[in-house]
Amino acid sequence: MKRSLSLLAKLLKIQVRSQLQYPTSFILEVLSSLLIQGFFFVAFGLTLIRFDQIGGWNLGEVAFVWGITEFSFGIMDMFFSGFDYDSFGPMVRRGGFDQLLLRPVNITLQVLGSRFVLRRLGRIAEGLVILIFSIIQIHASLSIVKVLYIPVLVISQVLFFSSLFIIGATTTFWTMDRLEILNVFTYGGGEVMSYPMHIFPRSIRLIFTFIVPAIFLSYYPAVYILNKPNPLGSPAFFAFLAPFISAFMFLLALRFWRFGVKNYQSTGS
Amino acid sequence: MNAFLATVRISFRRQLTYRAANLSGLATNLMFGFFRASVLIALYREQPSVNGLTLQGAITYAGLTQAMIGYLSFFHWYELMHTVYDGQVGSDLLKPLDYFLYWLGVDAGRALGTLLIRGVPLFLVFALFYDVVLPLSLLQWGAFLLSLLFALLISFGWRFMVNLASFWTPNAIGIGRFAFGLSWTFSGFFFPLALFPDWLAEFSRLSPFGASVYIPIQVFIGNVSGIELTKSLIIQLTWIVILVILDHIILNRGVRKLVIQGG
Repeated sequence: MKRSLSLLAKLLKIQVRSQLQYPTSFILEVLSSLLIQGFFFVAFGLTLIRFDQIGGWNLGEVAFVWGITEFSFGIMDMFFSGFDYDSFGPMVRRGGFDQLLLRPVNITLQVLGSRFVLRRLGRIAEGLVILIFSIIQIHASLSIVKVLYIPVLVISQVLFFSSLFIIGATTTFWTMDRLEILNVFTYGGGEVMSYPMHIFPRSIRLIFTFIVPAIFLSYYPAVYILNKPNPLGSPAFFAFLAPFISAFMFLLALRFWRFGVKNYQSTGS
Repeated sequence: MNAFLATVRISFRRQLTYRAANLSGLATNLMFGFFRASVLIALYREQPSVNGLTLQGAITYAGLTQAMIGYLSFFHWYELMHTVYDGQVGSDLLKPLDYFLYWLGVDAGRALGTLLIRGVPLFLVFALFYDVVLPLSLLQWGAFLLSLLFALLISFGWRFMVNLASFWTPNAIGIGRFAFGLSWTFSGFFFPLALFPDWLAEFSRLSPFGASVYIPIQVFIGNVSGIELTKSLIIQLTWIVILVILDHIILNRGVRKLVIQGG
């Protein structure tokens, strides 16, 4: 275990060093992801001025779900990039995965250490700024329990998004290519979670409840933390299911991953 | 000219062979169209029209942007860059076809193929779910198609220029991400520009990014006509001329500078 961790640390250090080789490029990348992602929220905020509210939520309240989702997604996207099917798919196809399998080290650990995207710091910072902006706006409705629940939610969302990445990466063992449709659940999941989810039609809500339980990671907890009425009329304890659902999903994703590795057949290329 | 058309044709055919990828991309863009439309419907709840844009127009806008993503490929295009880094560029520069025209041909074929099997079906399915605005006259359809063609030329001019950075530096991906971030930000892809504050909307509309995405949509939903329509097309043409000239200047300098590795 200790050996594994020190090895992981070494792998990550190599990644960081190589990414800092071109400092100008690196700074531009962090800045651009900060600006682009940040612009979405600014654009949305400027749009909201013309309408006042969306689904009965004001800007500070939307900023809560928006910021926490961006922040968690950014953290996940930095640490779990090894499982990002956009890059894992091509790696499998080119035989890079076979190379990893030949090494006498735990395969999950190697994939985790194979890619660490430092430039995601831009998105993480952006999410944090939006979250802080929101907390300044909504602090009146916060109690100590609610404040303590926020980091729990962040961890739950990180587990949730990483499960989707791991499942996505596993599917490439069979498809040999990334499936763009997976983006509907990962990036699309992030997008729907950034709004009060009762604004979406029933069919979309059902997908993000039963196929990918995103609504338990964002909407229900937010309704509780922000003291908002719940037009969906669901029981109050739904607000606290986030850590359990995400932990369960993560374990399920890991099982699927191990199943995939076991049944993996190389393309021979 | 024959070589150019042959390049377009080959690239077009190649695009059509990626059936699963195209279908998967179509479904993805369609879902994102539904998400954006839902958000717009929630926003418009108490207002029938904002800054001249009706809800129906805004929903159409959401569907059209998703239908155009693959066609314009405005935010993610590193193909030329990859050929510089793997050495392919050497033989591309030796082709009996101007380097700029060669890539334009490749991109035109790709765009046309994507539009036909991904863009058009997407918008048709989208129209089954939502009440969309359609061009009312043959003239408006014609103007839309023309401005859609101009949009591709602007998008290509920008992407070609961004990719040329690879002639100078061994790692131009960062520059690319930044440049494509700009085109993503100011094109109006995320939200209809009409909903932004006027100064930002005007700035985006005059930039090459808004000229590429926002103008064809405005023409399609009938928000510009007559003099305004002519003005919009002139903005597009101006950017095409500027970008093509810049591309050639930069290419001429770049070719002298280029160091080909491997190959």
